[in-house]
Amino acid sequence: MKAFDPIEIEIFKNTFVSIAEEMGAVLGRTALSPNIKERKDYSCALFNAKGETLAQGSHIPVHLGAMPLSVQAAIRALPFEDDDLVILNDPYHGGTHLPDITCIMPVFIGGRLEFFAANRAHHSDVGGMTPGSMPLATEIFQEGLILPPLKLVSRGRMNEDVLRLLLANVRTPEERRGDLLAQVAACEKGRQRIRDAVRKYGLSKISSYADLIQDYTEAFLRRTIRAIPDGDYAFADYLDDDGITDDPVKIAVTVRIRGSRAVVDFRGSSSQVKGGVNANAAVTTSAVLYVFRALIEDDIPFNTGLMRPIEIIAPPGLIVSAQFPAATAAGNVETSQRIVDVLLGALAQAIPDRIPAASSGTMNNVAIGGYDPAAGRNFAYYETIGGGMGASREFPGLSGVHTHMTNSLNTPLEALENYLPLRIRRYALRRGSGGAGRTRGGEGIVREYEFAIPANVTIMSERRKFAPYGLRGGLPGRPGRNTLISGGKTVRLKSKANFTVQAGDVLRIESPGGGGYGPPRRGKK
Amino acid sequence: MDDIRIGIDTGGTFTDFVIFAGGRIHTRKLPSTPANPALAILRGLEEFLADGRAPTVIHGTTVATNALLERKGARIALITTRGFEDVLVLGRQTRRNLYGLRGERRTPIVEAGLRFGIEERMTASGRSVRRPDRAEIAAVLDRAAAAGVEAVAVSLINAYAGPEHEEIVSEELAARGLLASVSSRLLPEYREYERTSTTAVNAYLMPVLHRYLSNLEANLGRAELRVMQSNEGYITAARAKAEPIRTALSGPAGGAVASLHVSRAAGFPKVVSFDMGGTSTDVSLIEGRLRRTNENAIGDFPVRVPIIDIHSVGAGGGSIAAVDAAGSLRVGPQSAGADPGPACYGKGDGATVTDANLVLGRIDPDYFLGGSMKISPARSRAAVARIGVRIGKSVLATAQGIVDIANANMEKAIRVISIERGFDPRDFALFSFGGAGGMHAADMAAHLRMGAVLVPANAGVLSALGLLLADSVKDYSRSVLRTLDLVRFRDLDRACRDFERRGLAEMRADGFAAGAVTFERSLDMRYLGQSYEINVPFGGRSTAGLRAAFDREHRRLYAYVHPDAAVEIVNVRIKIRGRAPKIRLRRYPVVQGGDPARAIMKTQPLHHAGREYRAPVYDRSGLFPGARLAGPALVVDAGSTTFLPPDYGLLVDRYLNLILRKDARR
Repeated sequence: MKAFDPIEIEIFKNTFVSIAEEMGAVLGRTALSPNIKERKDYSCALFNAKGETLAQGSHIPVHLGAMPLSVQAAIRALPFEDDDLVILNDPYHGGTHLPDITCIMPVFIGGRLEFFAANRAHHSDVGGMTPGSMPLATEIFQEGLILPPLKLVSRGRMNEDVLRLLLANVRTPEERRGDLLAQVAACEKGRQRIRDAVRKYGLSKISSYADLIQDYTEAFLRRTIRAIPDGDYAFADYLDDDGITDDPVKIAVTVRIRGSRAVVDFRGSSSQVKGGVNANAAVTTSAVLYVFRALIEDDIPFNTGLMRPIEIIAPPGLIVSAQFPAATAAGNVETSQRIVDVLLGALAQAIPDRIPAASSGTMNNVAIGGYDPAAGRNFAYYETIGGGMGASREFPGLSGVHTHMTNSLNTPLEALENYLPLRIRRYALRRGSGGAGRTRGGEGIVREYEFAIPANVTIMSERRKFAPYGLRGGLPGRPGRNTLISGGKTVRLKSKANFTVQAGDVLRIESPGGGGYGPPRRGKK
Repeated sequence: MDDIRIGIDTGGTFTDFVIFAGGRIHTRKLPSTPANPALAILRGLEEFLADGRAPTVIHGTTVATNALLERKGARIALITTRGFEDVLVLGRQTRRNLYGLRGERRTPIVEAGLRFGIEERMTASGRSVRRPDRAEIAAVLDRAAAAGVEAVAVSLINAYAGPEHEEIVSEELAARGLLASVSSRLLPEYREYERTSTTAVNAYLMPVLHRYLSNLEANLGRAELRVMQSNEGYITAARAKAEPIRTALSGPAGGAVASLHVSRAAGFPKVVSFDMGGTSTDVSLIEGRLRRTNENAIGDFPVRVPIIDIHSVGAGGGSIAAVDAAGSLRVGPQSAGADPGPACYGKGDGATVTDANLVLGRIDPDYFLGGSMKISPARSRAAVARIGVRIGKSVLATAQGIVDIANANMEKAIRVISIERGFDPRDFALFSFGGAGGMHAADMAAHLRMGAVLVPANAGVLSALGLLLADSVKDYSRSVLRTLDLVRFRDLDRACRDFERRGLAEMRADGFAAGAVTFERSLDMRYLGQSYEINVPFGGRSTAGLRAAFDREHRRLYAYVHPDAAVEIVNVRIKIRGRAPKIRLRRYPVVQGGDPARAIMKTQPLHHAGREYRAPVYDRSGLFPGARLAGPALVVDAGSTTFLPPDYGLLVDRYLNLILRKDARR
């Protein structure tokens, strides 16, 4: 391993991270759908020619570990040429779940492929059974259009056939086209900045720091793991169900710490299931890397160096290593959160002062679609709702925020009411939902939608049965609840549900609170 | 001429005065009095307030900013729509630190018991579904009054589309004599969290500014007090009390206004202003005019009033170098500030950017702050050497590394305001002021391939000077949210006229003749569905041409357009300017046949990019218009040092600005 120069590493770190962030600024500003532009549900990153991440903008953790697998899948699938752009969403060829479409642009320098600029964005509809493409499916074919690695742009020319096929299979083609063009523009920005950097510093310097920056990040993680006492730490927790049957789904992990290495062993977890909560290896990798990254309390670039000290054991066919053709829509957004919960639960035994109680553990996905007669168009809308953060030794959990694998923004309800035939009746903290403790868990959220016209609604949520755990005597957060009020009747909905609403119906989502930390003081709730 | 105009800028360390009287400019610097900033002001003004004289005083103040950052604002209540009482707590549902397992502390600006929801509802199109009940409002106000609130923020859902319900609430507030901050008046724009935050922060600051400005006015005799806003113009003290939020980011505004005027006079209409101080660096892009943005935050709070687009990074002369756990050198964001200050000040041991500059010979140790402060090069060397040992580098290589990393951090800031906004820095000159800027400006310009660097005269009081170059400016806006094909020119025109009428009346009340008031109309536009707006001038008699103007700007910013997508008009904006009498920058004749070498005070060793030179140190006050110098050299004055690298030349222009260019030497 070549040593880095302590001054140059700082300058190149700065360069790589700022390129990824500049790509993100372009994508956020030019996308058309609320999910990308308002909620910033995307990530941008740079890769070397092997598909290893150099730096990633601070966006959505669930995209982090998964993106290099996309680039590597594209490298395997296709011969890249200059001015190409490849798209994919196939969870079994580099993707995670179908709504996340990844765009990858090769960066040729002097005729040779040296780098990639890539980004991933959550599209609010990619076809499939229900609007919003988060259906209660039992195989991936029902979940939407599957895109194996394909050239959307070939030697500088838009491949109109691919685009037409794609747009013909989604409910909101204009929005998809706009979002895809924004992704392309972000890749171009990344490529341009990489070329600028090569002009400024020379290719050999940039290439050598593309490797050294990974060594740098790896060094941080090794230090962090070394500070954890050696030992085997096991923990298990459950998903409520897979949306098809009512059976709980177990996720079990044993974390083995040996010096500066960690083995994360998922054997003992449930097998993959019928419904869409299956996580593929990319999602699981993301969740594992997120947890270890979060243990490093320093500002470091997120890159493939994080993977080197960690070995993940997950034989194919588990809930965390799902195989084709399992449905995966919720694996990315829900199961990933539970993987984080079990890892933290295991690590809490090793370093109890540094690990917080469980956060809400669900993104409370809501997809709404239909035909708006007043506007004369189809609509497909997707959003997620935050919850309570788990309390830590130092702080009570934050209330009403996204935690762990996502940090997407809400859509302002004044934006929502302007574009969709619905009204938000209530958007408030769910008082009393945070688990009691020496420090309290954060409160969940109550959000009520009142529909003005009939619509199709899908809910993908979790922690409606199994509460977010408390730690060291802290009490669990209150589980979430989904309710439909229709024609004067109140109906309790399951964690995962698809249904049609009528004008005047009200949907109420109550998200879970976070777990408490430490025994509650007497006389205090 | 008896007209006296005085610009006063209160900073953390000094209160700067620029006094224009009898056709001449005087400057003055007094230590600030942070506990009561008015004390330093009154001390500096004493002689101008005697004999009942009535100067115009334009004041740049950080009272509002500090009250907000230190959480010393008023106790306030929030009135919103029932069901949305937690809007300020929920924010955008995000956490600050993506990987922070410990969580974070947040202190809301409105206490939990003082966030009231009332039954009422307005639709997104501004239609009332349920009118608020006055009895319910009265009951809420009773509770607020009983809790001792000093001001009330009113922000109801969809009030940007129809203000009627908020008007009902504010009538009740007025009847009780409570200070009111009303969202549909302050910022009738959509996005409930940002609007509510802006409105609440305004309420939080109202009593603070009210006390401060009333006290100041009471002691200013017949002087007319004006207050600088963050939008490049000033307002009367009375208006600042009602809308203090508009002054809350005004700190760098005076400097930006001065940058615009000084650089334009010098023949450089396109500049990037670069203000490097002790703890942070502010940069701003000026292309013949100041650019503005609405996406601001102060501390944790979004504030959506238009302000000059200034980007700030935590890199300054006091930024401390450190070695991280993997052995890489980092600079900042921790800063030694003024106390303990850089190691060379004699108190702290941390190696700062200033220490690195001293080690490299970019500072004359005998002439720091005009020779008024003793600094120790030995302490700087020792501090830098301690870092050097840990990274295995010599003292000089470490010092150069600290400077290079600080430069990289500041370069990123310039990229944000230029390249990310679709501008090429190569088309701009670098306008450098602030205590530390001159030592880095040439390096920065070289890295970004900017052709010239300007270091203005009076760089030490530039912000106060800017106050005397500013106009009075008022901004109004309203969300429209209609696509271009559905909007009628008549409606846009009417919205503009309403604001223009109101603005003109206010300007006349503030003492401006109708002929001195100008209007600038613009529209915030975007492709239907996008969430970031692009501001497009709206000067014509129809909506024709708007589409093309928008597409053009979108292409410039993002390199592509959506020819088939609908375009939406999000906000109409009116900027109203009352043209104020301004001081004239003094122009001097070029001195023929002068010898700049007479201004050389000494020579000293200087290290640049791994080589050692012997460089002359020039006394800036000895340089005359037309003087030319070749690098390497230092030019020092009381407030700052300018470093001229070996391959650079310098010209003193007729306004006494230093103009640095690569290869300009003869």
